[in-house]
Amino acid sequence: MNKIIYILVLLLSFSGLLNGQVPIPAKDQDKPIIVMNATAHLGNGSVIDNSAIAFENGKLTIVADASTISVDMSKYDVIDATGQHVYPGFILPNSQLGLVEVNAVRATNDQSEDGSINPNVRSIIAYNTDSENIPTMRFNGILLTETTPVGGTISGTSSVMELEGWNWEDAAHSTDIAMHLNWPGKTRRRFDFSTFTVSESPNQNYTKDVAALKKHFEDAKSYGQLTDRAANLKLEKMQGLFDGSITLMIHASGPKEIIEAVNLAKAQGVKKMAVVAGIPALYISAFLRDNNIGVIIPPVHSLPTRPDQDIDLPYRLPHLLTEEGVTVGLSHSGMLANARNLPFYAGTAVAYGMNKEDALKTITSNTAEILGISDRVGTLTVGKNATLFISEGDALDIRSSVLSDAFISGKRITLDNKQQALYKRYSDKYGH
Amino acid sequence: MTNFKSCVVLLILFMCALHMTSQETFPRNDVLDDRVDAYAFTNATIVVDHNTTITDGILLIQKGMIVGAGNNIDIPSGYTRIDLAGKHIYSSMIDLHTNYGMPEAESRSRGGGFRGPEQIMSDTKGAYNANEAIKSHFNASDVFTIDKKSAGDWRKNGFGAVLTFRADGISRGSSSLVTLGESSDNKVVLNNKAAAHYSFNKGTSSQNYPGSMMGFISLLRQTYLDAAWYNNHKTKPFTDQTLEAWIDNQQIPQFFDAGNWMNVLRADKVGDEFDVNYIIKSGGDDYKRVAEIKRSGASLIVPVNFPDAYDVSDPLDAEKVSLSDMKHWELAPTNPSTLEKNNINFALTSSGVKKKADFMANIRKAIKHGLSESKALEALTTIPAAMLNMQDRIGKLNEGMVANFIITSGGLFDEKTEILENWVQGEAFRYKPLDKSDDSGVYTLSIGDQNYNLEVSGKPGAQKFKIIINDSTKVDVSSKIDKELVTLGVKDKKEDKEEIRLSGWKTSSGWKGSGQLVDGRWVSWDATRKSDLPSEETSKESDRGKKGKKSVESKDEEIGKVIYPFIAFGNEQLPSQEKILIKNTTVWTNESEGILAETDVLLSDGKISRIGQNLRERGAKVVDGTGKHLTSGIIDEHTHIGGGGNERATNSGMVRIGDQINPEQINIYRTLAGGVTAAQVLHGSANPIGGQSALIKLRWGESPENMKIAGADEFIKFALGENVKRSSNAASIRYPQSRMGVEQVYMDAFTNAVEYEKKWNTYNALSDTEKSNTDKPRKDLAHEAMLEIVNGERFITCHSYVQSEINMLMKVAEYFGFRVNTFTHILEGYKVADKMREHGVAASTFSDWWNYKWEVRYAIPYNAAIMHREGVLTAINSDDSNMGRRLNQEAAKTIKYGGISEEDAWKMVTLNPAKMLHLDDDMGSIKVGKDADVVLWTDHPLSSYARAEKTIIDGKIYFDLDKDEKARKDLRIERARLIQKMKGVKKKGGKTQRPNSRIQLEFHCDVEHYSHIINHD
Repeated sequence: MNKIIYILVLLLSFSGLLNGQVPIPAKDQDKPIIVMNATAHLGNGSVIDNSAIAFENGKLTIVADASTISVDMSKYDVIDATGQHVYPGFILPNSQLGLVEVNAVRATNDQSEDGSINPNVRSIIAYNTDSENIPTMRFNGILLTETTPVGGTISGTSSVMELEGWNWEDAAHSTDIAMHLNWPGKTRRRFDFSTFTVSESPNQNYTKDVAALKKHFEDAKSYGQLTDRAANLKLEKMQGLFDGSITLMIHASGPKEIIEAVNLAKAQGVKKMAVVAGIPALYISAFLRDNNIGVIIPPVHSLPTRPDQDIDLPYRLPHLLTEEGVTVGLSHSGMLANARNLPFYAGTAVAYGMNKEDALKTITSNTAEILGISDRVGTLTVGKNATLFISEGDALDIRSSVLSDAFISGKRITLDNKQQALYKRYSDKYGH
Repeated sequence: MTNFKSCVVLLILFMCALHMTSQETFPRNDVLDDRVDAYAFTNATIVVDHNTTITDGILLIQKGMIVGAGNNIDIPSGYTRIDLAGKHIYSSMIDLHTNYGMPEAESRSRGGGFRGPEQIMSDTKGAYNANEAIKSHFNASDVFTIDKKSAGDWRKNGFGAVLTFRADGISRGSSSLVTLGESSDNKVVLNNKAAAHYSFNKGTSSQNYPGSMMGFISLLRQTYLDAAWYNNHKTKPFTDQTLEAWIDNQQIPQFFDAGNWMNVLRADKVGDEFDVNYIIKSGGDDYKRVAEIKRSGASLIVPVNFPDAYDVSDPLDAEKVSLSDMKHWELAPTNPSTLEKNNINFALTSSGVKKKADFMANIRKAIKHGLSESKALEALTTIPAAMLNMQDRIGKLNEGMVANFIITSGGLFDEKTEILENWVQGEAFRYKPLDKSDDSGVYTLSIGDQNYNLEVSGKPGAQKFKIIINDSTKVDVSSKIDKELVTLGVKDKKEDKEEIRLSGWKTSSGWKGSGQLVDGRWVSWDATRKSDLPSEETSKESDRGKKGKKSVESKDEEIGKVIYPFIAFGNEQLPSQEKILIKNTTVWTNESEGILAETDVLLSDGKISRIGQNLRERGAKVVDGTGKHLTSGIIDEHTHIGGGGNERATNSGMVRIGDQINPEQINIYRTLAGGVTAAQVLHGSANPIGGQSALIKLRWGESPENMKIAGADEFIKFALGENVKRSSNAASIRYPQSRMGVEQVYMDAFTNAVEYEKKWNTYNALSDTEKSNTDKPRKDLAHEAMLEIVNGERFITCHSYVQSEINMLMKVAEYFGFRVNTFTHILEGYKVADKMREHGVAASTFSDWWNYKWEVRYAIPYNAAIMHREGVLTAINSDDSNMGRRLNQEAAKTIKYGGISEEDAWKMVTLNPAKMLHLDDDMGSIKVGKDADVVLWTDHPLSSYARAEKTIIDGKIYFDLDKDEKARKDLRIERARLIQKMKGVKKKGGKTQRPNSRIQLEFHCDVEHYSHIINHD
């Protein structure tokens, strides 16, 4: 019966695809579902070998060892996942998913606004649920993203989106959760075409730029203290940083810059903050740990930034920072379409020293914690959203990651998309 | 005898007089006023050249020429005698790399980026060359004029003559040899066309082509060919004044401004092709590859611009400085001595030394690092003179040569030596008095009726005056001596503020004069010498001097070793070929045997020699492969590491990536660590017809030439679509602007090539007499490349995306009777896979890239699977060095997307690319007799959890996890040593520079998404 429904869903989605559309958004969960006998990776470091995972009305109701529970199976749609694996939905932070369609085509880009200080700019309203990139992310288990504006000094606020929904209001998981600050660099990089090299020189404007930022925070604070104030959209939005409703996401290029940025924010009374940084974070891991600052790191599949660095440093970075007691979340930058390889970044981290379940945390619970959404997603925990998927094999290893089913807040989503449709169309043409 | 000698001298004098009054043609605004200008320098140590020194000798000059040097020379009457007892005379130094007296360089935004409208044609007005960067028609002497300020700076530092040219263009025209005198432009120019100059820098040319090293080289090569062709015509086909100058300039010495060791080798190779021996200006880093430099046989002009130490006080900031920059700081001063040890002919230049005053300090540094003084002198005088074929006129102190010399207080390279005078063409420039009187002693100083004991001590020229109160107390006297005159300020007590001010003149016994007391009254004063300084004083003084000297001279300092390549993870010794027996492992043969469990593989003599079970081999290094996997090395069909780049011309088929292979790129090592053993280094994709590829093995540490795969077939890059129609540049005006135009570019190029062949065939069929009456056709490097394609001697790898253009190129090829070898990227290959199979073209694709630009909206990760199933030879390629080190994971994506079998997936990064590159006879599988290019993996090679444990090429272990671990440790220790050494420099007050990094970026042909950082395609 389940299989028939599944095939029907597939057929429906293909018919949609034939018209060049993304898969039809799923209906709300109308019946309890239980996934039996899978190896469940909870996202908090533990594994249940023979699990029972049930959810109802979009929320997890059972996460347990199948042998320890007794339930009335007739109440549920039962999915037998013997030999398969269940994971919490992966979270893609600091991404332009939904904002950028085809990077090289300017008309399809909505990730960056004019001007330098844009705290009031909100990415969520540009988030395009019909982006063709989105279904390809889901295909590999990415079920949530932080859709993030870029550019300027303060780019605006990001929101966490479920990768499912008719429109951005449907898809919104948490609105305006983080404000993105691009901290100036102490050095400037200059590209020399003749030698194809980048050289660094001191940023003469650094002190001035930092002073201007400090003034902006001070202005926002004094604005907040006024009882009778003329509305200022920029300063108004900044208040969220002081009351803890918005996380300050600091993008900084060097270790000293990170320290100065965090200290300035702290001194200005910013309640919650996190850092987006790569290898430089390693040099000041004690500072990050002591200040309880989580770090979103750039693609694990990157090259080292300096020739003298260990050749596998980007691969080992999640492990090294984790060992130092820093909370690490993985992200992707560069070609947007490649963000779908986020799970395999965690896989590579495993090849370079990390325990598999710890690596899983860097794309689930750690990220949820850093984004301040861990109360609802990030782990398979009773009461949290039923945002999860089933994979035939290890979902962190490319060669075995084959998703068989996925749910976002209990909604059973269509995994196939345009790419599978084209595969089928041409396989049929050639009679493969 | 003596009489005869004086006769000769007189005769020479007479000739010189004739010679030097050569400005007879100029009008006069006075009565005739010729001077004798004859000087005899006596009692001097005359260093005639680096081999010959005359002690207590006499140097005679007259009218700016040397008329004699020796011990027993009669000084004819009329000569002014100058006593140089204790002084040295050297021929003044010559610098061959200067722009002295040239107008300020024109600053013009240089072309060559990928933004804005292209400039296809030359902007130069007049009947000059087609390419703006070829400026052979320029002669430095046309614009040269004496620059007194600059000349003064040169002379003060011991130079007498320089070669001056305008550093603008690939061909820079001719230079002039000029002295640093100030008499007149006509006199100082010794040779108005002394040498012809070339470089790898297009200078102010804003023409698009060339814009890369390979383009500079191909432009030079084509210009040599064009000049020969032009010269060959009885009636010139058109007038090209640049080519005419180029042809004329071939008669004079040829100088090449290369700038680093790689470019030295590149320049030399161009020279070899056209029988030109360039004298090459190096980058001072020749020590990095001295064996190759030596082998080139080139003579060099070598700078001594040794870098300052970095300020490494802050460990975080110090991280920016790379090992190679640190090591270069340490090793650069050894460069001249390394060249000397290797018997490489070289001259030294001050070029690149910021302050001329630092030049001699750096020469001394080089001497301290092993350069002999004799070689240093030779490299500053006779060698540069000989390089210009001017060894009979400058560079030595022999009879008949130009009187260009310096008078020094001691040996030229002695730290204490001062240049006292610099004579240029007989014209004297004086800096320090030849004689400084020694006034030391004890004097009675009488001021009015007051007497003091005055002590004068210290070295001549810097003597100190003190009033002796008693044995332990002395009061300093302020003093100023100006030759015969003296000014003193005398105090009774140290604490006194007021001074008695004295002014006076020298007498035979001391000084005498008048002064003013503190209350304003005038008095007479004198100082009369009564005794020498007490001997105790002198000895104390000199003791202190010695001690000071000792502390300056450091012990033999430790110098690090040269590593290959000269960057982090380079090795002191290159790996050697070993006999290696890998035991008990899972072997992915890529042959009909499939995957063999628990198998042994023996590598010997760089080949796979045996495959089997329980193999034994005496002397073999045994590697336990239990639980591991052995595969043939990964071959990347599409990379840009180690020398990628993009030329600008629509048809850039003449340029060769092989001309710009750069083995000093860290990404070669990183890629090696990803199990890659061989790769095709491709030209970029901004042109329908790109440059010729290079096939390399990742032989880490080898020279550029040794990276290349000997005997490999020749390939060339083509490209289609958005990049070639310059979609990312809205201002582009370059043909083609549409896919329609792209086809016509190909039709045109191949049609021309066929016509070209006909023309040559006709010419070659002529008899010798007919040939001598016929103009030879022009040899065109681009046409040649196109013709090779048509004739099946060169194979196309074509960057491609959408089905229409893929289909088009196959039809063009079929029309001209050849086949496209490979479509690379080929993201819509799945739509025309059947046509591709029929055509017989291979496909090398990205595993899962899509949607980064308009033409890849329909790219699907199943592309490889569909093409493979349809019977197209399919590979997965990287394009960038980030992905290039994980091609095993990329291959695994064909399993995830499309369900390809593991063996077939693996072949997509090994055997299949080997076939596409026609390398499968030697590579691509584990088969007896093939190259020992294998990788031992820690895990299933297609798993995300696998790491390459050993990467072996030609039976040499180029990467090994254990060795890498050790290399990291060694790197840390070597950096720490250098950092401590640099800290030492700072502590001693030496100059330091801000930590800086220069990071080599990777070229990449499809990085529109990086375009905010890098302006290229």
